[in-house]
Amino acid sequence: MSTDCDDPKGTTCDEALENLYLYLDTELDSLTSDRIRSHLDNCNGCVHSFEFERRLKTVVKERLDEDVPDAFVARLREALAEEAATDAK
Amino acid sequence: MADQANFERDALQYNRQLYSAAMRMTRNSADAEDLVQETYLKAYRAYHTFTEGTNLKAWLYRILTNTYINKYRKDSRRPNEVDLGTVEDLYLYRRIGSEESADAARTTEDRVLDGLVESDIKEAVEELPETFRMPVLLADLEGFSYKEIAEILDIPIGTVMSRLHRGRKAMQKRLWEFAKERGLLPQEA
Ligand SMILES: [Zn+2]
Repeated sequence: MSTDCDDPKGTTCDEALENLYLYLDTELDSLTSDRIRSHLDNCNGCVHSFEFERRLKTVVKERLDEDVPDAFVARLREALAEEAATDAK
Repeated sequence: MADQANFERDALQYNRQLYSAAMRMTRNSADAEDLVQETYLKAYRAYHTFTEGTNLKAWLYRILTNTYINKYRKDSRRPNEVDLGTVEDLYLYRRIGSEESADAARTTEDRVLDGLVESDIKEAVEELPETFRMPVLLADLEGFSYKEIAEILDIPIGTVMSRLHRGRKAMQKRLWEFAKERGLLPQEA
């Protein structure tokens, strides 16, 4: 991957990849995050791997999402109402 | 101190997310419904202890997770480690890219990301030992921060990071197998 790399600020690909998930999970401090972003602007190899992981993360989220059965939400409201009524007594 | 009268208005909006997480924890809809209902009832009873203005979603998840661990967990005999012997970082990405030209790899990436169906992703997550499944669900399904996950699971933030890292790797390894089974990869791969 280093073959594509031309980061004028000197961040290495290894450093970028070490921070990949921290970056995608928005867990980096703004200084480090800026350094990674600038590396990605200058490195084709890293930008592809980051983009793939970002897309995978989105795919995972979308395909794990469930529709809640309407009947269940109705039961849930009922159960809460019942609980509130018991309290009121 | 939060007012019970506002509970439904404030808390019920998270039912979809809680249910999705509960499905991946219990692996069936009947238990998931029971788990979510019990979570809401417990939360309602304890709502006076919730500090208004703090993170209600995380508070609900903490109750969900504890309720699950105490009551619904059926797989305590399952291994609590993931075998990552030869699984490198960016497993899926590197596997896809390893045998092809850059352009061909892009095409395969698209095919894999489009072609992995819901049941593949769900199975890959459900097969993770609980220790790893929880952080992955909280981060990737719910988008909680590491700090929030640490609070919900009551573990140090460093542990969150290492479990998340290992859990995601194990998941990618499984997704690679699904991609192979579904014929999403070039013949040689
Ligand atoms: Zn790079």
